[in-house]
Amino acid sequence: MIPVRCFTCGKVISEVWEEYRSRVEERKKNLQKGEVLKVGDILDDLGVERYCCRRMLLSHVELVDVLAPYQ
Amino acid sequence: MKLEILELKDRKAKFVLSEVTPAFANSLRRAMISDVPKMAIDYVDIYDNTSVLFDEMLSLRLGLIPLKTNADMYRFPAECECKGAGCALCQVSLTLSAEGPCVVHSRDLKSSDPETVPVDQNIPIVELKTGQKVVLTAVARLGNGKEHAKFQPVCASGYKNVPVISIGEKCDMCKMCIDACPRGVFKADKGKLVVTDLYKCSLCKHCIEACDTGAITLDTDNEAFIFTVETDGSYTAHDIIDSAMKSLKGRADQLSEIMSAF
Amino acid sequence: MVYKCAHCKQTVEIDKDLQGIRCPFCGHRILVKERPTNIKRVPAQ
Repeated sequence: MIPVRCFTCGKVISEVWEEYRSRVEERKKNLQKGEVLKVGDILDDLGVERYCCRRMLLSHVELVDVLAPYQ
Repeated sequence: MKLEILELKDRKAKFVLSEVTPAFANSLRRAMISDVPKMAIDYVDIYDNTSVLFDEMLSLRLGLIPLKTNADMYRFPAECECKGAGCALCQVSLTLSAEGPCVVHSRDLKSSDPETVPVDQNIPIVELKTGQKVVLTAVARLGNGKEHAKFQPVCASGYKNVPVISIGEKCDMCKMCIDACPRGVFKADKGKLVVTDLYKCSLCKHCIEACDTGAITLDTDNEAFIFTVETDGSYTAHDIIDSAMKSLKGRADQLSEIMSAF
Repeated sequence: MVYKCAHCKQTVEIDKDLQGIRCPFCGHRILVKERPTNIKRVPAQ
């Protein structure tokens, strides 16, 4: 699960996580061959300004689906 | 004391406080961080949890969710009539009960006080698969930022000195500094080099390096401070600055009251 | 003591002396303890 707040500054970043993820997925689908995925403008739009908060969203890997079968 | 407001939104404020000492500016910053009381979840009673997260992880996540706070309505448990036992004057309970498949969000928390609710509605707490269940009651109380970071009403609040950029007569209008500045502080205006937005300057000194004639000097104004205050939504930025100053004033009053006895 | 078999998910009551740690239904040797029904208080910090 995405951390509720940014580790460094404490801003609540999980609020925009679901919107961020759906917008990135949408962009991935429409990506041309050889084109690099860029998400900076999505983060700007969602009000995630500082690089400490941006890395929280950028580097997050959702592990719930990986763990779920081993319950 | 002078105040120039650059930006004042619900959750963010930016202002220039001038003609004050660094000590005063710092006391304002510290008061905002640790002296403004805020509601946050203190402990969680877990009835059932078969989700992928451990009980401890779940309650840590719940604790970090910012709650709308009306500090006038609640008291610190230690100062309450119930002497910390927990009553409606010092506690709010939020219940959560969900069964998968679903994603549990902060909006699913049902509060006993309609005013003390999660500020942000879309915070994912835990994802539940088929058959997984979470039933819990979270108890929130008032606390100070010095106790735990979850009681801090501000995030990334701080100040920096107002920069002083002086352009000397040696300037030969080579315009190297205009390109060198990453913040775009300089501009050529009518054959003269001018500073357009002083508050943007980050004192990186790239302009000094770029200047061959040594015409630019950088300094800081020790009596003027650019403040940035960002709240987590528990209060408005305006209210935080206001109550931080009130708490400072309250302390000064307390001290003078004690001194008057001697 | 009541356990749950990690393999066939059945509720198992075991007798250590008689058969050892083993599920009587499927013979699996891994048993998990079920969550107790009491309320657990966890501090949020």
